[in-house]
Amino acid sequence: MNTLEVVHLSFGYANGVNALSDVSFTVAEGDCVGLIGPNGAGKSTLMMHLNGLLPNKMGAEASIRVFGEPICPRNLDRIRRDVGLLFQNPDDQLFCPTVFEDVTFGPRQFGWGDNDVKAAATRALEQVGLPGYGPRSPHHLSHGEKRRVCIAGLLACAPRVLLLDEPTSDLDPRGRRELKTLLKQLPVTKVIASHDLEMIAELCSRVLILDEGRLVREGPAYELLNDEALMLEHGLERPHCLQRTTSAIE
Amino acid sequence: MHHDYLDRFSRLDSPIHRTPAGVKLACALLLLLTTILVPISRGELFGAIALVLLAITAASRVPPIFLARRLLILEPFVVGVAVLSLLQPGGSAIFFKLVARGTLCLFTVLLLSSTTPFSEILRVFGKLRFPPILITMLALMYRYVFVLVDEAERMSRARASRTFRHDRFRAWRTGAGIIGQLFVRSTTRAERIYAAMCARGWKT
Amino acid sequence: MHIPDGFLDTKTAAATAGLAVISVGFAARSVRKTLPSSKVPLLGLTAAFVFAAQMLNFPVAGGTSGHLLGGVLAGVLLGPSAGVLVLTSALIVQCLVFADGGLLAIGANVFNMGIVGTAGAYGIYWLVRRYAKGLRGQLAAAAFASWCSVVLASTACAAELAFSGTVRWGVAFPAMAGIHMLIGVGEATITTLVLVAIANTRPDLLQDETRRSAALRYSEVIVYGMLIAVGLALLVSPFASPWPDGLEKVGENLGFLGKTAGKPLAQAPIPDYSIPGIGSPAVATALAGALGTIVMFVFAFFLARLVTPKRVGDPQPPTS
Repeated sequence: MNTLEVVHLSFGYANGVNALSDVSFTVAEGDCVGLIGPNGAGKSTLMMHLNGLLPNKMGAEASIRVFGEPICPRNLDRIRRDVGLLFQNPDDQLFCPTVFEDVTFGPRQFGWGDNDVKAAATRALEQVGLPGYGPRSPHHLSHGEKRRVCIAGLLACAPRVLLLDEPTSDLDPRGRRELKTLLKQLPVTKVIASHDLEMIAELCSRVLILDEGRLVREGPAYELLNDEALMLEHGLERPHCLQRTTSAIE
Repeated sequence: MHHDYLDRFSRLDSPIHRTPAGVKLACALLLLLTTILVPISRGELFGAIALVLLAITAASRVPPIFLARRLLILEPFVVGVAVLSLLQPGGSAIFFKLVARGTLCLFTVLLLSSTTPFSEILRVFGKLRFPPILITMLALMYRYVFVLVDEAERMSRARASRTFRHDRFRAWRTGAGIIGQLFVRSTTRAERIYAAMCARGWKT
Repeated sequence: MHIPDGFLDTKTAAATAGLAVISVGFAARSVRKTLPSSKVPLLGLTAAFVFAAQMLNFPVAGGTSGHLLGGVLAGVLLGPSAGVLVLTSALIVQCLVFADGGLLAIGANVFNMGIVGTAGAYGIYWLVRRYAKGLRGQLAAAAFASWCSVVLASTACAAELAFSGTVRWGVAFPAMAGIHMLIGVGEATITTLVLVAIANTRPDLLQDETRRSAALRYSEVIVYGMLIAVGLALLVSPFASPWPDGLEKVGENLGFLGKTAGKPLAQAPIPDYSIPGIGSPAVATALAGALGTIVMFVFAFFLARLVTPKRVGDPQPPTS
């Protein structure tokens, strides 16, 4: 059973913009998959589908299965617990007055007891390297800290899959390094949408290339990222870390 | 980040800070009531109230300079209303007493807000059975007030950097434009926040 | 015009607090029934928006600047009950976080700015809107209603100060209402310009309103209308009486705490102003008020004509 299975997914927004066309792929357990493509390719739209946030107007043959089950109103709660989505802008996701309240938002929605909620939050904050940040106000945190608090908020729900939308955007080099280390340590299945191709090369085993709503290629990360012509064709480029290795070989 | 005067001292460790928010709110209301009930003719009682407030300040360990500065910033609002009394005969004697009374009340609320994190006040509101939608609004508002203020400031700075002529009419037009843009951005941000809340299981 | 603590006595604070509680409770119920849950974050964000908008400076003359109150703006964008909640939230946070506006006086501030200035003024907007169509009509209605919101809110404020015995009605009312008739022009202008700016980028946000205002719920009209009428009647009644020191009489009859607390601070048998040629100062005030209102009404339509864009921009799909 695949962790995530998407078949013939098509989607258009109400204003007529066609965001996704006939996308199909699978993600196995423990995979770390990179989702890359130019701006407007539909990466964020695709991620929101995997979490059940967008309506089910996908087309007759389309289906999205999470752990073998199609997404429907009945299992939406469980899907949202199992599949955590990290939004691109942490200010949109960090909507509670204190860090503690925000990290416990998910567990409280899912009806856990007070002690369990508190324990999960403390554990999650430690996991992201922010112990003791509970009482702080989000607007005093740095961008990187906000992002880590958002991840803690997802980890507190004990997800089995993490979807990350541009996790390293707007981070300074140290923030980026810390986030990469954190992501490497997390044992869950991950789908990472990003322009940060260096990070994708480092963390992901497989890569999906999305362009104008279509899934144009998928395959091993090293192979696809190294294909300069392919990268340039889809508004990307070969990551520098790979360029250095190949030129060293040559 | 420069709004750090907010909540800067609301989480210190002191006997005042440790007092539950509900108790502090009740005491503040009591103090305010007492101050208001003091007849304007018995001004010396104001001194007693001032002493009580100063004692609380000392116990709270909040730096007095911080409080004094905030008091100074807010004082014009008190004086502004008190000025109305000067327009009537015999006003000047009352004016100072009004300012004194207003300042004492202002200081009380200032102490309350400096020693109590707003999220705890919201919890008290919840226990007092405020409408849940109001509490959600207050929490969101408190969280996003500075995000929006920063955004408005950035837009103002962008406007200023391209203003070569100080034309009042244009200033009003662009100022209104900034406010309009702020609202439009707020609607799209609100949609994203709703998505984020749903993604973590929010049910109304 | 946030009233700080120390200027209203207990009976005024209590009475306005009572009115405020009823209004806010009703507004909350109303919003819960009519607003889809997807719009709840928008309410919170609009409250933050109103606060941020109130901080913007609009230069007037010398070093002074004007600011937006935003009651009618919130009402036009989200509806009257949502507007009430938005302004109330802004006032609560301003009081408890920034110490702007008194804690005991919060009922009065909510009543003045959140109820009279928002729901009450929205009623005026709605009335004008029934007869003035199109974007220009909407702008004119909003302009006039914004002016009214500031003037009416300041009138209520003056009434509260007088009812408390802090400042005599004959002094407070002309001062407050007079100044705010001028400030109101600023409010009208800013509100109109903001609506134009929104119409240029997202006209759909204003079109929602058109559908809603046509379906204004009668319960809202009745409840807010009654609450405002009760409030104003209560506050203004001592001064409508032929006895200038009617306040003291009211205070004694109602037996509120401490005669000293409710005692007017300074008394004079007759308010000391008049318009030459018109005998009674009360009539003079009424005439001045009526004249100002008519002038503003005409100006509102002129303003709308001035600022309405020749061609409203085509709506763009929002960028993700």
